[in-house]
Amino acid sequence: MLPSKANAPHAKKVLFPDKQPTNSRQVKSSTLTNAAGLSSLITFTVLLLAWISGFASRLFAVIRFESIIHEFDPWFNYRATAYMVQHGFYNFLNWFDERAWYPLGRIVGGTVYPGLMITSGSIHHILHSLNIPVHIRDICVFLAPVFSGLTAISTYFLTKELWSAGAGLFAACFIAIVPGYISRSVAGSYDNEGIAIFALQFTYYLWVKSVKTGSIFWAVLTALSYFYMVSAWGGYVFIINLIPLHVFALLVMNRYSNRLFTSYTTFYILGLLLSMQIPFVGFQPIRTSEHMAAGGVFGLLIFVAVFRYLRTMLTKSEMKYFGGFVTLTAAALLLILVILTYSGLVAPWSGRFYSLWDTGYAKIHIPIIASVSEHQPTTWFSFFFDLHILVTTFPVGLWYCIKHINDERVFVVLYAISAVYFAGVMVRLMLTLTPVVCMLAGVAFSGLLELFLKEEDKDGSDREGGEGSEEESEEETERSSRRALYDEAGKLRRMKHERPKGSGDGLGANLRNGVVIGISMLLMMFTVHCTWVTSNAYSSPSIVLASYSNDGGRSILDDFREAYYWLAQNTPNDARVMSWWDYGYQIAGMANRTTLVDNNTWNNSHIALVGKAMSSNESAAYDIMTSLDVDYVLVIFGGMIGYSGDDINKFLWMVRIAEGEHPQDIRESDYFTERGEFRVDSEGSPTLLNSLMYKLSYYRFGEVKIDYRSPAGFDRTRNAEIGNKNFQLTYLDEAYTTEHWLVRIYRVKKPEEFNRPRIPIAERTINRRTSSFLSKKTARRKKGLIKGRPTVVKGQKPQKKSTT
Amino acid sequence: MRCGFYLTLFSVTILYLNHVSGQYRTKGNQGPSLGERVQQLSEMAMKRPVLRFNGGKFKEFVKTTPRNYSVIVMFTAMAPQRQCQICRHASDEFTIVANSFRYSQSYSNKLFFAVVDFDEGADVFQMLRLNTAPVYIHFPPKGKPKSTDTMDIQRVGFAAEAIAKWISERTDIQIRVFRPPNYSGTVAVVMLLVLIGGFLYLRRNNLDFIYNKTIWGLNALFFTFAMVSGQMWNHIRGPPFIHKSQNGAVAYIHGSSQGQFILETYIVMVLNGAVVLGMIMMTEAAARKGDVRKRRIFAVIGLGLVAVFFSLILSIFRNKAQGYPYSLLFK
Repeated sequence: MLPSKANAPHAKKVLFPDKQPTNSRQVKSSTLTNAAGLSSLITFTVLLLAWISGFASRLFAVIRFESIIHEFDPWFNYRATAYMVQHGFYNFLNWFDERAWYPLGRIVGGTVYPGLMITSGSIHHILHSLNIPVHIRDICVFLAPVFSGLTAISTYFLTKELWSAGAGLFAACFIAIVPGYISRSVAGSYDNEGIAIFALQFTYYLWVKSVKTGSIFWAVLTALSYFYMVSAWGGYVFIINLIPLHVFALLVMNRYSNRLFTSYTTFYILGLLLSMQIPFVGFQPIRTSEHMAAGGVFGLLIFVAVFRYLRTMLTKSEMKYFGGFVTLTAAALLLILVILTYSGLVAPWSGRFYSLWDTGYAKIHIPIIASVSEHQPTTWFSFFFDLHILVTTFPVGLWYCIKHINDERVFVVLYAISAVYFAGVMVRLMLTLTPVVCMLAGVAFSGLLELFLKEEDKDGSDREGGEGSEEESEEETERSSRRALYDEAGKLRRMKHERPKGSGDGLGANLRNGVVIGISMLLMMFTVHCTWVTSNAYSSPSIVLASYSNDGGRSILDDFREAYYWLAQNTPNDARVMSWWDYGYQIAGMANRTTLVDNNTWNNSHIALVGKAMSSNESAAYDIMTSLDVDYVLVIFGGMIGYSGDDINKFLWMVRIAEGEHPQDIRESDYFTERGEFRVDSEGSPTLLNSLMYKLSYYRFGEVKIDYRSPAGFDRTRNAEIGNKNFQLTYLDEAYTTEHWLVRIYRVKKPEEFNRPRIPIAERTINRRTSSFLSKKTARRKKGLIKGRPTVVKGQKPQKKSTT
Repeated sequence: MRCGFYLTLFSVTILYLNHVSGQYRTKGNQGPSLGERVQQLSEMAMKRPVLRFNGGKFKEFVKTTPRNYSVIVMFTAMAPQRQCQICRHASDEFTIVANSFRYSQSYSNKLFFAVVDFDEGADVFQMLRLNTAPVYIHFPPKGKPKSTDTMDIQRVGFAAEAIAKWISERTDIQIRVFRPPNYSGTVAVVMLLVLIGGFLYLRRNNLDFIYNKTIWGLNALFFTFAMVSGQMWNHIRGPPFIHKSQNGAVAYIHGSSQGQFILETYIVMVLNGAVVLGMIMMTEAAARKGDVRKRRIFAVIGLGLVAVFFSLILSIFRNKAQGYPYSLLFK
């Protein structure tokens, strides 16, 4: 949508560079104006190309499969967006979803960050008011790729403020294609992060701008952008801690200025008020520890301002003690905060945030956080996988930012150091590291190439040389279709470079060219790596699976949608489906059926109840299921095709979570063998072999023989022959199994359907009494009363029926 | 007041009686009754949460029937000449559990914690056929300990939480582990702050080194390298330093992309550092003014560093990622 629209002006613009340089050659006096025009043209072109290439490389999933929403959380976002588009914004805010968390329900309007839905909803609204009929699903699918272009542009502006325009162009190109960001913003992954990174970068840009200018205007814009970020993602806490940290660091470094005072006070007050308008956030900004640092720094800043003012009025104090005084006040504020926390006025750090500091916390106390794979710590492999050359070069940018420090570079240094720590603790927070890595790597590469591409004599304009370097390395990052257009500009510039110049104390042309070629090689490898990673690792919708046979042919496994469609068509509209929480959003989104638990893991005990049902034996599970009114049970089983993300592999987490709430009934150790192994074959523990999850996964699997070599009932995922083969289900009934057995649905029997073993008529023994006569009279009726005898009340006339 | 006085008197009497009965027991051969044993145990438990048993006491309190209390016994060898490092940790954790129970709401005389040291009660070890330490065994009120009454240290470890969980499984007594606040960390931080403060105070006339950007820059770079090379993963997961397989081969690099060894992260850290150094050398060579030959050499070295070490890191990456097609200088 957007690139196609943007293409037309681009094509027109490209016509100009042919003309402009010729003009400049003719009219020598206006070189300066033309150079400025040229550089802005290059900037515009590079950003546009970054946008297009970023958009294009996010489309792998759409081209290979189709335009669908991916994974789990996006399905909820999509459902909420569709609801909002259908019922209007205010109904959305008041939406009580009775189809989730049965029987509790969920107040969606108050437990969701509405920024994503509002964004795509308003795009939908605008397009429809322009009479462009686009389905809301397509907007949802393509929202994240479009916003990646905006992210690139705001990264350019931020880096330009921090270092130079050249570094900004590098950073914009890096962030357009870096896998660490693509992982969360491919087409179809309709999630908060997709727009939140744009909001994050834009807020930081406005903040740096307002610190530089000290104008209220920019500070207000910062607060507004922050408001958008708060409405979009819970990661806004990162902003509201990083900006105060920046202010605090500037205070400690004795870099206080009135500009800082104006921008921070404006931003803090407005940002605080605005952020409290989001229903989900509410009063958290003044009641929780995560937000306290901002308030403390606000107080400290005012204190410092007053102190400085007084000092000009009263006496000449020692400058040296000032820093110490600041620290003392900070300590006092911290003490007050601790006291408030202990007295219960301020809520302590929530578990998710606390686990960032005390890294062992989540593992012991919150298994539901520890169970999610993206909350694991990060190996060096993932860093390199997601950032490639950038991870090895961004320390260079960090080094030069520290060497040439100023107010705004303090900010980027703090950003880098805090983000790199968080990314080390949690894989998921790699996302916040990626923008700053792109920026600093941009600084590093632009610094290097600026020097090596510059003409030997110092008279040549530095800026132009810097721009030229961008353009050189730009070539690698764009798609081949654009390359033809680009070479023209490159040729023109090269002519200028190759003009013979007297080399005084230069490094020599050979060495320069060698370095430039080497660096270009590295950048090319980065591009290739990004494309490979995007294509192979991050472009799978995970509801539609693809498997490749040996001859390269591809087969699509569409079992998930098959099963959800079956549910939607064949079950009553109010049927309750029990599954593990991973699939809650998908069942609600695709099958439109009531679920017990879903990916919004707000109620741990409810999840534990489902986990208990899955890990108990059949009869105990039946009690739980009847108490929860379950009609259908859905399990994911990968043993037939070797899909490793199935429920048996997640089973231990179910047991653990259930054990956390019901330690009397479920014990993790029961599910291991004597030697502490988790096995599904005949040596596995009997508790496991008789648990509901095991039976539902392997029901009638023992009759299946996949190929000639393996025995019947051979589980391909765990490479084992299952241990409990021929069993019957008493309380459940197989309702549907998809083509590749990936999804299996069972119906929970009603009480009258079981407990009555069917006996053939020939074998039935009927007890008859010896006497054939059987009185039908009960004890009371045996007295011999007349049925319907009128009761006669003495002294009263029976009333006549009135005819009227 | 009077009440308190009576209570004191009462307890003194009981103490006296106990003393007498103890003396009596040593002379005679008849053991004390159930009530007396419970009494003795609770009094000992009041003094110290973990009771020290030798052979005789073990027989008296744990082996005799009837009992109406559970005993969790840790069999250990704490003597220095036994050189059991793990026993000390195990004992600390065990003491934490015992203390938590002692000062918790659910404290009762249904559960006692005891320890038998090998050097004091070797006969007990023989009796139970134990030849390792530490071992935790739960002695239920009725019957003999079953196989599940021995805690599986190999699998669940011996952290206080694990012990508490195991106890709650065996005895239905929930113990909420309360670790005594670890003041060592706080003390270390305070000491560090005091040291820094003192240092600053001593050098108060010459504070320029705080403004030394090189030191700050180096610190920041070191922190970045540490994080990027996955030291936090090491900290949380605790992988082995290197991996030695059965046939003596040593693996420095973890084979899969899911894991890493400690040495591997150091290697990656050095490689990252070399690439960064190369980049900085190239930039400086072009930016500085001065001897051209020196700068040229610097630029060449820088380029070489970047090319070689980035290729190295790429080839390690390629070995770990199955099917990754690209490489630079080395396969």
